[in-house]
Amino acid sequence: MASVPLPPADRATADIDAVDAPGEAPSLRSRSPWLPRDREWVVLAGYGVTFLALHRLAILWGGVGYYSLWFPAAGVRLALFWRFGARLAPATALTEIIVQCLTGIIVFTQPEWPRGIFGVASPVLAYGIAVAVVRRVADGATGSLATAPMPLGLASVLAPLIAVAFALPWSIVRPDITNVANVRDVIVSLTGFAVGDMLGVLLVAPPLLWIADLSSGSTAMPAMVPSRRDIAEAVIVLGLALGLVGMLASIGLGLPATPVLLAIAWIGLRFGRAAAWAAIVVTAILVLPETVGAIPVDQRLALHMSLAAVTVVGYLAGSFADAEARALAAVARRDRMLFQAERLKTLRAMSVAVIHEISQPLSTLAIEARHLVEISAHADPDIAETARLIERKTVTLSTLVRRLRRFGGRAVDEPSLLPVGALVDTVAALARPEASVAGVAIRIAPVDPEWTVLAQEIEIAQALVNLVRNAVQATDDGVVEIAVTRRDERVAIAVVNHCADHPLVHEGMGVGSLVAKAIVEAHGGTLSRADRGLLRIAHVVTLPLVGTLTGDAA
Amino acid sequence: MTLSASAPATVYVLDDDADLGASVARLLVRHGHAARAFVEPVALLRDYPRDPAACIISDVMMGDMDGFTFADAVRELDPDVALVFMTAWPTTANAVDSVRRYGGLDYLEKPIDEDRLLTAVAEGVAWSNGRRLLNRRTALLTARERQVFDMLVRGHSNKAIAGALGLSIKTIENHRAAVVTKTGTNGLAQLIALVS
Repeated sequence: MASVPLPPADRATADIDAVDAPGEAPSLRSRSPWLPRDREWVVLAGYGVTFLALHRLAILWGGVGYYSLWFPAAGVRLALFWRFGARLAPATALTEIIVQCLTGIIVFTQPEWPRGIFGVASPVLAYGIAVAVVRRVADGATGSLATAPMPLGLASVLAPLIAVAFALPWSIVRPDITNVANVRDVIVSLTGFAVGDMLGVLLVAPPLLWIADLSSGSTAMPAMVPSRRDIAEAVIVLGLALGLVGMLASIGLGLPATPVLLAIAWIGLRFGRAAAWAAIVVTAILVLPETVGAIPVDQRLALHMSLAAVTVVGYLAGSFADAEARALAAVARRDRMLFQAERLKTLRAMSVAVIHEISQPLSTLAIEARHLVEISAHADPDIAETARLIERKTVTLSTLVRRLRRFGGRAVDEPSLLPVGALVDTVAALARPEASVAGVAIRIAPVDPEWTVLAQEIEIAQALVNLVRNAVQATDDGVVEIAVTRRDERVAIAVVNHCADHPLVHEGMGVGSLVAKAIVEAHGGTLSRADRGLLRIAHVVTLPLVGTLTGDAA
Repeated sequence: MTLSASAPATVYVLDDDADLGASVARLLVRHGHAARAFVEPVALLRDYPRDPAACIISDVMMGDMDGFTFADAVRELDPDVALVFMTAWPTTANAVDSVRRYGGLDYLEKPIDEDRLLTAVAEGVAWSNGRRLLNRRTALLTARERQVFDMLVRGHSNKAIAGALGLSIKTIENHRAAVVTKTGTNGLAQLIALVS
């Protein structure tokens, strides 16, 4: 069973079953989370090749000792963990070790090979730890730090620092290994390490993640799309800053980073992360070729530190602007929802009022029409037929008014027996238009047609639609699954989606989830999150099972 | 107030929609009741002592006085009148209150189900007539006889009643005979039937 890949819908059911019956220990659950799955093997192979190429490239910016002052492979590594999870850290470390063995950096015949393996694996594990920590902190936090893309920015800075912390003991205990001779060299070497990794991460990881998101269809264009005027402003600001730096350099005042730093911070705050990143790349393209080859290490380090500072400030400014734009969009979305809710409330009140106004005269009409039928039974056949027609139509109208009242007002406090299968179908039908616009398919696992709950249909359907809408926004593989299982005397409706980026998705302000939770709890149910493994998010609604349509429900 | 089974029972219809009230009253007349429609609760309460009814069908949502306030007022005048409520604004809370707090026999949703209305009125008239019959027959009982009557219809034995009231069994037997005579019944079974 473990070797047979299940289709997504079946996989969701199998995962839910795994939660239902832990004693059965299904094969899907027994698989180690640290092992790559399916296409992740291919991704790791690609990572190995890319790592090799970028590692070679980084040699051009080699600093004091062992480390490069620009290490783009670190950016690929962070993007890999951010996208697929820190659980891939061991497999990634193994990949890098294999690459280093093939290139002859690690040679098993030499006595130092265990230290070589540790030296390769420790930054990988450090990056994994950084990603895991940031994701966990962001998952439980609220506010700007938890709002995408701030967590990625934090991880981009934290990962190189943790990697340096890992390398510090070796630099002190065995300085010969990293070709450093004294304390100054150790400091220069590790500073170069941090600066090189940070530059690599900040320049490479964002575009890689963006391309990955675009290819999976889980992202939209940048939150702020600059107009031509915006582009012109950014170009002028950056051009002026670079020109000022060039002028200062030409008169022998060195290469002060401040003008460029301010310019990129301006661009980031005004136009968002994408614009900031583009300005950073332009700056890097101008700076990095100048620091290749025979340049004094202190000059190179100073330039790269300046570039790193520019990059960090620009990236954080852009991230802040994007986060602010997202927050504003979320507030606008919440306002629209509240407006919609208020409108529905008004419509409901209006419909109840109209029903009242209609039902008064209709009551009279119905009584008189029936009387007319009785007294015209022996009258002219044409009159009798007309009376019967009027009576039939008043009966039809009366039935219609009672149905409308159930929808408009009375249903609020009178739940009805509801087949879960029909409920799920209704929810899927309501959510499909929005899902298809987002390119997301909604799959429904088979539901036992006899499972029935006692619920207010409109409200409980609204709660489930909210969950499905959230899943549609969060999924990164274009699929949302709805699966229903039975847990003793309760029915569990799971809305499942795949999302590697799940702790950082904060598109809304959680109003939909709060509404859903309130509605579900008002029905005596629960709403909880029960993730299926590391990449599959499941929101599970449980409701008391009333019985079956053919059994104890009656 | 007539107690004859053949005489038409008085039924009042109270609704601020004059057409609907009149229509329901005419319907009830056609089904053998002496029905009369009122638009104002105050007018009905004013006329009621002069001509009490067996059953009143009242709207819930009305202008100055709602149906439940009216129910309290009319119960003050006559605790034995049957009440049926009808409304175009049905809610579960009102439905429960109408039966539990205001002693309504039914709570009808507009547009009115005619058959259900007629059934409710028939039940109301029967209930009211039964209550009035009981009151009339027990009106002549002394306080002590009333105590004995109440305990008898609840199934207590002579001995138990004697013990509870601190009287002799012989005295209880005498009270029991008086109760049977004054209520016009012929034994315990008819006494119990009187209150059921």
